[in-house]
Amino acid sequence: MRPFAYERPESITVALSRLGDDVDGAAVRPLAGGTDLLTLMKADIVAPHTLIDLKRVVELDDRIEMTAEGMTIGALATLAQIESHPDIVGSYAALAGAASQAATPQLRNMATIGGNVLQRPRCWYFRDPQISCWLKGGDSCPARDGENAHHAIFQDSPCVAVHPSDSAAALIALDATVRIRGASGERAVSAGQFFALPTDEHRLESVLGPDELILGFTLPAPAAGSRSVYLKAMDRKTWAFALVGVAASVTVTGGTITDARVVLGGVEPIPRRLIAVEELLHGSVPSDDLFRRMGELAVVDAQPLSQNGYKVDLARALVTRALADATAPAG
Amino acid sequence: MSATMDVKIEDGKLALTEHEGVDGWDASTPMTAVGQPATRLEGIEKVTGSARYSYDVRLPGQLYAAVLRSPHPHARITRIDTSRAEALPGVHAVISSANTPQIPWFEDSFVFDTTVRYVGDEVAAVAAVSDDVAADALGLIEVEYERLPHVTELEAAIRPDAPKLRDSGNIAGEPTVYDRGDAVAAMAGADVVIDAVFTTQAAIHNSLEPHGCTVAWEGDELTVWASTQSVFTIREDVASGLGIPEHKVRVIKHHMGGGFGAKQVAWKNDIIAPLLAKRAGRPVQLMLDRHAENLASGNRPPTRQHVRFGARSDGTLVAIWADIHIGNGAYQVGGEASNVSGMYQSLYRCDDVHTESRTVLMNTGPAVAFRAPGHVESAWVIEQVMDELARRLDLDPVEIRRRNYSPIDQVEDKPYSLPDGLAYCYDRVTADFGWANPAPPAVAGSKRRGRGFAAHDWAAGSGHPPAYAFAKLNPDGGIDLVTGTQDIGTGTRTGLAQLAAEELGIGVDQVRVQLGDTASGPYSPVSSGSSTMASIGPAVRGAVADVRQQLLRLAAVKMEVAAERLTIVDGRISVIGTTDQSMTIAEVMEDVAPANLLGRGARGPNPSDVSIRTFGAQCVEVEVDTETGEVTVLRVSTAHDIGRIINPALVDSQIHGGITQGIGFALTEERVVDHRLGMVMNANLEEYKIPTMLDVPPISHAHVDVPDSVANITGAKGVGEPPLIPTAPAIANAIFDAVGIRVHDAPISRQRMLTLLAEHGQSAAPEVAR
Repeated sequence: MRPFAYERPESITVALSRLGDDVDGAAVRPLAGGTDLLTLMKADIVAPHTLIDLKRVVELDDRIEMTAEGMTIGALATLAQIESHPDIVGSYAALAGAASQAATPQLRNMATIGGNVLQRPRCWYFRDPQISCWLKGGDSCPARDGENAHHAIFQDSPCVAVHPSDSAAALIALDATVRIRGASGERAVSAGQFFALPTDEHRLESVLGPDELILGFTLPAPAAGSRSVYLKAMDRKTWAFALVGVAASVTVTGGTITDARVVLGGVEPIPRRLIAVEELLHGSVPSDDLFRRMGELAVVDAQPLSQNGYKVDLARALVTRALADATAPAG
Repeated sequence: MSATMDVKIEDGKLALTEHEGVDGWDASTPMTAVGQPATRLEGIEKVTGSARYSYDVRLPGQLYAAVLRSPHPHARITRIDTSRAEALPGVHAVISSANTPQIPWFEDSFVFDTTVRYVGDEVAAVAAVSDDVAADALGLIEVEYERLPHVTELEAAIRPDAPKLRDSGNIAGEPTVYDRGDAVAAMAGADVVIDAVFTTQAAIHNSLEPHGCTVAWEGDELTVWASTQSVFTIREDVASGLGIPEHKVRVIKHHMGGGFGAKQVAWKNDIIAPLLAKRAGRPVQLMLDRHAENLASGNRPPTRQHVRFGARSDGTLVAIWADIHIGNGAYQVGGEASNVSGMYQSLYRCDDVHTESRTVLMNTGPAVAFRAPGHVESAWVIEQVMDELARRLDLDPVEIRRRNYSPIDQVEDKPYSLPDGLAYCYDRVTADFGWANPAPPAVAGSKRRGRGFAAHDWAAGSGHPPAYAFAKLNPDGGIDLVTGTQDIGTGTRTGLAQLAAEELGIGVDQVRVQLGDTASGPYSPVSSGSSTMASIGPAVRGAVADVRQQLLRLAAVKMEVAAERLTIVDGRISVIGTTDQSMTIAEVMEDVAPANLLGRGARGPNPSDVSIRTFGAQCVEVEVDTETGEVTVLRVSTAHDIGRIINPALVDSQIHGGITQGIGFALTEERVVDHRLGMVMNANLEEYKIPTMLDVPPISHAHVDVPDSVANITGAKGVGEPPLIPTAPAIANAIFDAVGIRVHDAPISRQRMLTLLAEHGQSAAPEVAR
């Protein structure tokens, strides 16, 4: 790891101005839990000269609050706080499930939700400092024709890495809003719009500017009859990134699905919202056959790489199962 | 009986045979200390963090070393310039081929060779005031490489047009061929033949503590605190590499965080650290980080095994034929060979057997013994083929093995020391598991359950001479036991203390065990092959028996009875059969204090008329989710003929650890190489997935615990390696039982399981082997 300066401002104005000093976003970086940033620094994938610790910034917090309008979660809330918060467990099960299935207890005690959704991909070509890759500014993607068993099955970006955050998929499925603060003030972006496929001009996975910070997340109050679930397939029972994850939130009113949001993780560089599935679910009566067809629909556009065709089967199965779980009779 | 030394000339050379001088324990010998679950002597040190490992050594002025490794799988170094690194403040020494004598290491190569043969090969090394400065200095070393063609894939490396690692080609030496009878001719008489190709993956040992050492020179004497399975091997190789006498090198190893075979040879770090320390004039610590550990300190080599097994319709084998390729990596580093052929020749009775095995060089990190080298790889194949034969012939998988039982070692043509050893395992494990009971419901939704069985033998496990121990009886009745063996985390200290306590008739807490130091302990062999206790245990008994004999002479004079009439129980010396006259050991010794009684023990020869092996068998139950490919191991039962159990708690620990590694080998562990780049993609603990606690089911160890009184005077054999051997094929057989799919290629990852489920259709009928 290269030497760096460490600053611990108490005001978000100071933090934002320090971030704003850095025009290309590489030299001054915010630090929260550090569980991803430090690994990137140790691998020499990023080499900031200054870290701005956000833990003392008074405008940032780890509060989790349920109100009549819904749930607010401060950006500094840890995954451990989220997985164990009774209101999240009770009303936003997909998020609690996603948080609880991430990493290990030690990591979840450190990792913040704000940092979690901003994790960089785990692609082993991206993470190896000796290998040039498109996402790191190179010309081409070595994974596309390489060791790609863990990589994307949908091909909408020059990058075939997959988004590593379990919680990101859950936040989209729960229709969360991301509250963002920049030098010019606050803005709100839906979680579905917060993530963006990397492009030649913008080789990152979110729309967050280098001089912006996540303040927190707002989740609407759950509708009557809604349930949510997060399912995750891993190479072993725990402590692994998702091969495929699926977050589903379904509202059933009078025996009919009146709202559904379904999001796949682990299948492309950002969580993939399944709009076509959601539209077909709307107005349908829950059934095993319906959910099997939704599983098929979820992967109809999949273009697996040489080693990851199995992830198509996995995504199909998990979507079907998540919808069944989210609509199963209670108890 | 008393200790003796036989000297004669055999084949024109001196042959030395020593004897322990004490009768063997048999099954009826009453035991007090041996057989008890004594707590590890170093347990408190370990759980409180005070146990000192090689990494924990801190000496005045100590420097920290880092190694520059080749980024290329195959290249010639055309220029090295270390001047910028040397100029960095805090750097005390930089060594490379440019400024270091060519010290031979690994076959025909050198410690710093000008040809690098895999990504991770050593190019240069730095010693600096901190790890960070050393790492920075590595970045300042300029190296120019001339790239050479590379090959990192086993199947590609054996093609005629493959890039060559050596002028002689990529097959190392001559093929190892074994013939008993005529397998090809006999195969024609089989009612059923299984002809199939299986592969096993490269697996990484991933010891919690990586390889490394801390070294210090005092004048011309060198001390090495090494993380090693053999202090004497390190001493010999380091002394030889440096060109100094062995007694000038002292190797110490107090505690170790795992070796699993990879630490049984001296690696380049063991010689680089002393070279840096000499140059810097300061102590140097060189511990590998996880990346280097997983690239450059050994692996279980990948194999390709093409086999034919022929059987009669009653299940008896008529012929076994195997063509084996072992992907050795760039160098042959020595130590235990990966004997993939062995179990084909020995596990089942068969008159006509042919095996041939080729060791293949390729541009990957060198292979080294990994817990049951060769046997884990061949068990994957043999035990799946036996399962397949049973299914084809509609036989129970255990029954077909009983029908092919061999009470003799067919290679050595000698009876086994315990001819029923494997049969005991069959009996115990099937009873423990409930193999004969009806299987529980096999289907629930998308989930299918299945049960699998596998057996094994293990060639080592009986130990061998030479191995020595000293015992010193102190005036207060306590014993200092000194040997040159090492405790590699298995509990050797504790087991030896139990043997000593048993021999003298005292408590385990009256024994201090001093080991892991070449300067104080007499020679003891490498801790490999599951042979440590069986090698050094008899010597310990001999040393303590020597002390006991002297003590009884003193007691006999003091108590005015013949020494032959005396015994020692619970530290009290008394006349056999009476209770009226007794003295403690200390009461006898106090008259002569501070005199000590010194005992010497030497490991006796193994019997020449029998073959000593260990055996085992496992039953597992798994659940396969046919929609998600998730495999869950639900339970494991295991039984092992390991001779006498000296400490059941420590033996159970070995069983649990071995089966855990077996589950990893079966399901998740695999080194992934990008063959275009020649680079390992998962030289870390994130993408190389060892099992977590949640991956390991309840494990039931059905103790066999039959002393092998023929093997040695303790009756104990070894347990380190055996529990790992049958686990992966037992899991594969259970998966076949569950979903009817025969998995030829290890590991059974999510990717492989789902791919096979898709190929076969999720409710496929049982497949016949290809």
